[in-house]
Amino acid sequence: MKLLHEPLSGRSQAVLGVVGVVGTAAVWEGLIRSGLLDVAGLPLPTGVLGGVGDLLPDGTFWDAVLFTLGEWMLGLAIATVVGVLVGGLMGAFRSVFLAFEWPVEAFRVLPSVAVGPILVLLIGQGVLPLALTVALACVWPILLNTMYGVRSTDTTAVMTAKTFGNSDLAVLRKVKIPSALPFAFTGVRIAASIGLLVAVSAELLIGSGDGIGGYILTNTANATDLDIVYAATLVAGVLGVAVNLAMAKLDDVVFGWKKGLAQ
Amino acid sequence: MTETSVPPTGTSAELLLDAVSRSYGENLAVRSISAEVPASKISVIVGPSGCGKSTLLRIISGLDEPTSGRVEFEGVPVKGVPEGLAMVFQDYSRSLFPWMRVDKNVAFPIKHLPAKERAERVRFAMQEVGLSGKEKLYPWQMSGGMQQRVAIARALASHPKLLLMDEPYASVDAQTRADLEDLLMRIQAELGITVLVVTHDIDESVYLADRIIVLSAPPSVVTEVIEVDLPRPRDHIATKTDPRFVEIRGHVTRLLRSKEHAAPV
Repeated sequence: MKLLHEPLSGRSQAVLGVVGVVGTAAVWEGLIRSGLLDVAGLPLPTGVLGGVGDLLPDGTFWDAVLFTLGEWMLGLAIATVVGVLVGGLMGAFRSVFLAFEWPVEAFRVLPSVAVGPILVLLIGQGVLPLALTVALACVWPILLNTMYGVRSTDTTAVMTAKTFGNSDLAVLRKVKIPSALPFAFTGVRIAASIGLLVAVSAELLIGSGDGIGGYILTNTANATDLDIVYAATLVAGVLGVAVNLAMAKLDDVVFGWKKGLAQ
Repeated sequence: MTETSVPPTGTSAELLLDAVSRSYGENLAVRSISAEVPASKISVIVGPSGCGKSTLLRIISGLDEPTSGRVEFEGVPVKGVPEGLAMVFQDYSRSLFPWMRVDKNVAFPIKHLPAKERAERVRFAMQEVGLSGKEKLYPWQMSGGMQQRVAIARALASHPKLLLMDEPYASVDAQTRADLEDLLMRIQAELGITVLVVTHDIDESVYLADRIIVLSAPPSVVTEVIEVDLPRPRDHIATKTDPRFVEIRGHVTRLLRSKEHAAPV
């Protein structure tokens, strides 16, 4: 029997993806070159590509990329530790949940970038206020996912551990936390993408010229070469995609067992 | 089937239920259950669905407390989960831990033991259930019947004196079920464990049991206790065609079907 929609082979998927990206760029290029779209400052895809070519040998740009990556990873690490710890306890103990429920709800809606200037006032410039801004944005999906993961631990699994004489705390350690880890990691994956966005935004708003955001800011201010600015933005985007792919791979390898979780 | 007749070790325990009742708010789940589970035998609780079997098992395993009445294990009142108890659940896929390989699952109740003894117990338990060589699989890579064997191996690794089984074979196919019934009887005969099985399957109850405890519809009471005198080792063909088997099965069926079976008011 032939399916109505046969799944595409990996190769045709890749070909279609490339055709889509190249096609969009070509249409874009055509619109500007033909004069149909005439707004100052819009980039030509070929120009941006050339900008990327200029960036690659530029040492200061790579320093900026490394700075952003470091800031992002530090923020994500802080968010992971805090999120898993607080979320885990909130999921396991009703009293902890009640104590933290409203503070979490209140802080969760706070735009982290808006807190950035206060952080700079409190602890000064540098990588730390930027990383903390990232952490503040990243902690929520990790915390909430961990909490719901712990809470949704299978009751039969919990009863099994209890009938083997495990205390509530031992059940939390041996059963609830391990079974919540894939959920926590999903939170980390979501947070990783958010974190990179916030990292660059924070550099633009409260940074002192470091990182990809700082690099973009400096070059826009000088207005020397807008193609470079667009190219840097493009590199930041590619970085985000790469991070997402790496996390998905890690998810498959480390939490492959989650297909065994009873539905 | 290979039956070996090792005499009971004498380490197994006796369980006593004395007028156990349990209500949830207004709702009386278990009215008053009194029964004795003899040491080193297989006892089976059979009853209609919703007869409070699971409630009863939770109380026996110390996860829940009776509203009134008492439970004694080896002559000591049950408070919390008693030492020497192991439970096998119907839902093996939820009861086994999917992040652990089979050997780690089996070793779960004996983590406190030295590594050498732990390894020896895992080896023995895996051999008992016929799964040697499958130690490094994940449970979800196995068939349902094999997963339930892992759950039994895990219970055995804890060296239980009392093995509780809650509808253990209700989720596997008929052939696997027959194999697992024989497996249980062989292991019980070898190790002399006290076994208490809860089931709603009448055939299974007669085939496995030395003693059948028949429950009524909720709020449950014990309607009858039947001593099953069928010879051991039992066999799916010989035993199930034995006139005595047919007779007992008919009797239990009538008990569960009869109008009077509804709990006395």
